[in-house]
Amino acid sequence: MATPTEARDTRVSPEQVGYLAGGPQRAAETALARLLDAGLVRVSRNGVVSAVHETDLGVTTAVETGILVNLRQPVRFEPVVRKAGGSAEMRALYQQLRAQRLMRTPRPRLGAWWVFLAIGVVLALAALLQPWTLLGAIGFLAFAYWSYGAKPLTKAGRAVLEAVDADDRVLTVAVEGFRGRIRNQAVGDLFGLPQSVVKTLPRKKKPRRGKGRGAASSAGAGCGAGGGCGSSGCGSSSSSSCGGGGSSCGGGGGGSN
Amino acid sequence: MVGIKDLGVGIGWRSEIDLTVERLPGVDFVEVVAENLHIGHLPESVTLLLERGVPVLPHAVSLSLGGADPVDLHRVEHLGAVAEAVGAPMVSDHVCFVRAGGLDSGHLMPVPRTKDALDVLVANVKLAQANLPVPLALENVAALLEWPDGELSEGQFLAELVERTDCWLLVDVANLYANARNIGTDPERFLDEIPLERLAYVHVAGGEQHGDIYHDTHAHAVLPEVLEVLDELCSRVAPPGVLLERDDNYPSDTEIATELAAIRAVVDKHRG
Ligand SMILES: [Fe+2]
Repeated sequence: MATPTEARDTRVSPEQVGYLAGGPQRAAETALARLLDAGLVRVSRNGVVSAVHETDLGVTTAVETGILVNLRQPVRFEPVVRKAGGSAEMRALYQQLRAQRLMRTPRPRLGAWWVFLAIGVVLALAALLQPWTLLGAIGFLAFAYWSYGAKPLTKAGRAVLEAVDADDRVLTVAVEGFRGRIRNQAVGDLFGLPQSVVKTLPRKKKPRRGKGRGAASSAGAGCGAGGGCGSSGCGSSSSSSCGGGGSSCGGGGGGSN
Repeated sequence: MVGIKDLGVGIGWRSEIDLTVERLPGVDFVEVVAENLHIGHLPESVTLLLERGVPVLPHAVSLSLGGADPVDLHRVEHLGAVAEAVGAPMVSDHVCFVRAGGLDSGHLMPVPRTKDALDVLVANVKLAQANLPVPLALENVAALLEWPDGELSEGQFLAELVERTDCWLLVDVANLYANARNIGTDPERFLDEIPLERLAYVHVAGGEQHGDIYHDTHAHAVLPEVLEVLDELCSRVAPPGVLLERDDNYPSDTEIATELAAIRAVVDKHRG
């Protein structure tokens, strides 16, 4: 397969696709996949990642550079991904995505959002008889909208993911993660990685709802997208710990981690 | 033993590059450092290579057969057990000592080339052979010094060792080149003097010059000059096998494959 440095949408790199699909950890996996694809790092059967000697010329991103800098001594597979996922370079990548209006600060959905909606509707109907209730209706409906929450991906971000055709192994990692599967094949196999190594990464969450690539991707970036998750640790240990609310951290069907 | 025939071209198996070794084209056999393997718990990669029919040869670095200390039979037994675990037709170590007086040098130290030192070496080799299930091959080392009062050239020393112990020779052409650079060994004379019919296989490795000293690092590219020594050897005998040793600063799979191909080209040139 060819080595991609950019996804089909030329505005986004495979790393960015990875971030959109699965947050900072997925973006880190994607960067590592690119380095593997380019022959700049190798992984051993016992899961030790090492830099290939004197071949750092093919590095294309700051995240890749950060990974190679940390590989002056061999490091195990999972910590490589975790550390890159929490790096300053990854935070910069997130800021790029925000600047491109592909991501935004996520807002957790309040469990009682529908109560505010119902009250707003009732007040709106009541306004037909008592016009003064219109003001309350507007307030409750606005609050219902706010409490419904916001996913980290913007419409444009979701559109980018929908358009991604993961026809090479690096983009496949971006969309599915090393632990994912594509066409009945483990993604790790595309890189000759033993499952014992791949499984050191946090398990990929199954979508709770929605279907298809777009659905899986649409909320996947939740973890790490928001300022709360940042790029610190969603993917690494407990994806539910970030953001608290369902939508901000892999909730709603994220493919992250 | 009639000798090992047609091992082909191989590479030293190291855990850091295990997946590389598995997928490299043209790896006919591998060598494992016996001290790094545990009986009953062979690395998955080694098991996989064995299942593919790739010969695995144990190579030891700690028998210290050139030393005056008694041979550590536990180490010999371990080497033999590794040989049996991987079904190896032979094992190897070096013509050197690595410990003395309770101290470990951390290096393969050259043996004084005196009759007395040869007697000690011969006795140790015979003891090791008696405790090994397969034949033993011994490798010439790279030396940064020569002990005083040497009575034999390196080739004569090895020839007499073979004659008295019936051991096999593992000729490291990179070590031979290093000795030529550092202590003035004449590679052609060395090859003239050793019994090439007892050649088990050959090592090739990389190194680099630091000031006046050539270091046999196993962490740099193989120099063309080392391949020239291999070429000289191949002009005299068809080696049963030639193996690339790389122990650090592992280059890309492509570079390793290129080095293996260069070795094979030298070997094939003389096979017509
Ligand atoms: Fe050697």
